[in-house]
Amino acid sequence: MGEPAIRVEGLRFSYGSLEALRGISFEVAPGEILGFLGPNGAGKSTTIKILTGQLAPGSGRAEVLGRAVAPDDPVLQARIGVCFEEKNLYDAMSGRENLRFFGRLFGIRDLDADGLLAKVGLAERGRDPVSKYSKGMRQRLMMARALVNTPQVLFLDEPTDGLDPVSSRAIRTLIRGEVERGAAVLLTTHDMFEADELSDRVAFINEGRIHAIDTPENLKLQHGRRAVKVRYRQSGSVTEESVPLDAPDAGERLRAAAGHPGLMTIHTEEATLESIFVEITGRALAG
Amino acid sequence: MSARRILLVLGKDLRLGPRSPVFLWVLVLPLMITLVLQVAFGDLLDPRPRLGIMDQGDSAVAAAVQQAPGLEVARLGSAEALKAKVAADDLDAGLVLPPGFDAALRAGERPALELYVSGRSAAVDRLVLTATTLDLIRQAAAGVPPLEVEVVALGEEARPIAVRLVPLIAMYALLVAGVFLPSFSLADERERRTLNAVVVSPVRLGEVVAAKGSLGFLLAVPMAVVTLWINQALTGQPLALLVVLVVAGALLVELGLVYGTVAGNVTAVFTLIKGTGFLLLAPTVFYLFPDWPQWIARLFPTYWVINPVYEVTIERAGLGDVWAELVVALGVGALLGVVVAATTRRLRARLAAG
Repeated sequence: MGEPAIRVEGLRFSYGSLEALRGISFEVAPGEILGFLGPNGAGKSTTIKILTGQLAPGSGRAEVLGRAVAPDDPVLQARIGVCFEEKNLYDAMSGRENLRFFGRLFGIRDLDADGLLAKVGLAERGRDPVSKYSKGMRQRLMMARALVNTPQVLFLDEPTDGLDPVSSRAIRTLIRGEVERGAAVLLTTHDMFEADELSDRVAFINEGRIHAIDTPENLKLQHGRRAVKVRYRQSGSVTEESVPLDAPDAGERLRAAAGHPGLMTIHTEEATLESIFVEITGRALAG
Repeated sequence: MSARRILLVLGKDLRLGPRSPVFLWVLVLPLMITLVLQVAFGDLLDPRPRLGIMDQGDSAVAAAVQQAPGLEVARLGSAEALKAKVAADDLDAGLVLPPGFDAALRAGERPALELYVSGRSAAVDRLVLTATTLDLIRQAAAGVPPLEVEVVALGEEARPIAVRLVPLIAMYALLVAGVFLPSFSLADERERRTLNAVVVSPVRLGEVVAAKGSLGFLLAVPMAVVTLWINQALTGQPLALLVVLVVAGALLVELGLVYGTVAGNVTAVFTLIKGTGFLLLAPTVFYLFPDWPQWIARLFPTYWVINPVYEVTIERAGLGDVWAELVVALGVGALLGVVVAATTRRLRARLAAG
């Protein structure tokens, strides 16, 4: 494995007396998506603010692309892209003008704004003022803005929050495309489905601490339970039965269920990231 | 600080300007105030000195005065009528030529001549009228006039109300563009969180603040010039006027940046300006009420920029006359610069924490 795009070791940060980060450590490799899963106030946004140079790190080590992060580092900021949770675009400007302006801030005079707009499905609306965009269109434009400088590291803060399924899918496709070209992605979300679908690895963060970090599959294997759920109709009512695969009579019970005349469905019963998060941290992701 | 990045942000703000109602308001408001005051008080400054003349004989001087360029001359039938008009400030000055004045001059006598001047006339108008009159008499006497001119001031010793409003109007133009525009623009970007997006690009917050200040300055000085011009107060030495307006514009822009970096949103900017606007405009009130103790005006920081503007435009003062006040203004500006740096650092921290 080469040099990680993001390296964090023992990072701590406090807002006054409130300890927001209590010594977190993780790495993100180029071409990897790390999903940062945690409820509001867990420390996700603080971590992103430190890594993007908005906040000075308290103590510990934080590096992006081999540079120690520090506030106002134009060299580092020229190589990263940030997609905020809030839709902070210039409403009076068109989508195209927004992209061109930010392109110039990065020193890019010949930005292919139309190409970027097409990439996020806004080619037809690029000349309209952003004030006339829907929420999904704004979010897609936010993603396009984060890509104006072809960043090597992408920080995405709840990129699909509140979006309809079509817009969410478009954003996820875009993220995968960036990863394929080698960008490292730190994705913060409290949407376990999105984290599961997109992330190569996920980190569970709560109250400023990382409680677990691994691939979604490994986490499910370690913390989930292996079972099969069987539903069948019996005496006019629907009966549901869970068969643990580790049970000694599992094979016999499954055979019996498969031969039941009223059999309706057989599903594997897999743990979700959310249930694992609750198991590990003792609190729910939402809120 | 990168000048290129400051210009980029400034260029964006200038392009967005015509789409912003606030920007248009900044351009229109001083003109509207001028219009209202013009309607209420007439032309603020009459560019031509007004001279009344009462010729008790048949003086060639009276005829010459009437032909003199640049003067507005009225002939009156009696000395009493002339004095009354001067006392009421309907004339800047009045000249009474006694019977046999020309003959006395030619005989080498020293005829007494009284020039009545309005207490509210501009010093420069008095000077022009006195010099012109003496010159014409010299021509009539074909040499150095053997006479003594006694200047008698009539009426209240103060400027007309319309002239005393000039500092207020000029200050308003500077205030609206210099203070309101940068503060509103910064607070608006903070409220919409576009500032957060800009500061994670290679642009520094200090560069954004500098761009907002440049925007206010670029509008404040021309707006002050335009406002003075439409009020016919764009007089005095051009260099002196430019210097005092540049210093005034810079100081007020710094004040706007303090407001903009302190206020969390546009509503807070409005509240700050409403709360402190009187303090900023207070020195201009002392011109309207000359009986008030004028030293109090000096306690307000804006006095040190508005008084040089008044002195240069109304009293035709030069830089040599106002340099001390400008030095104080620059000192206030330096202090405000330190405050702007501190509030910008504070804003940086608040943006990150917000």
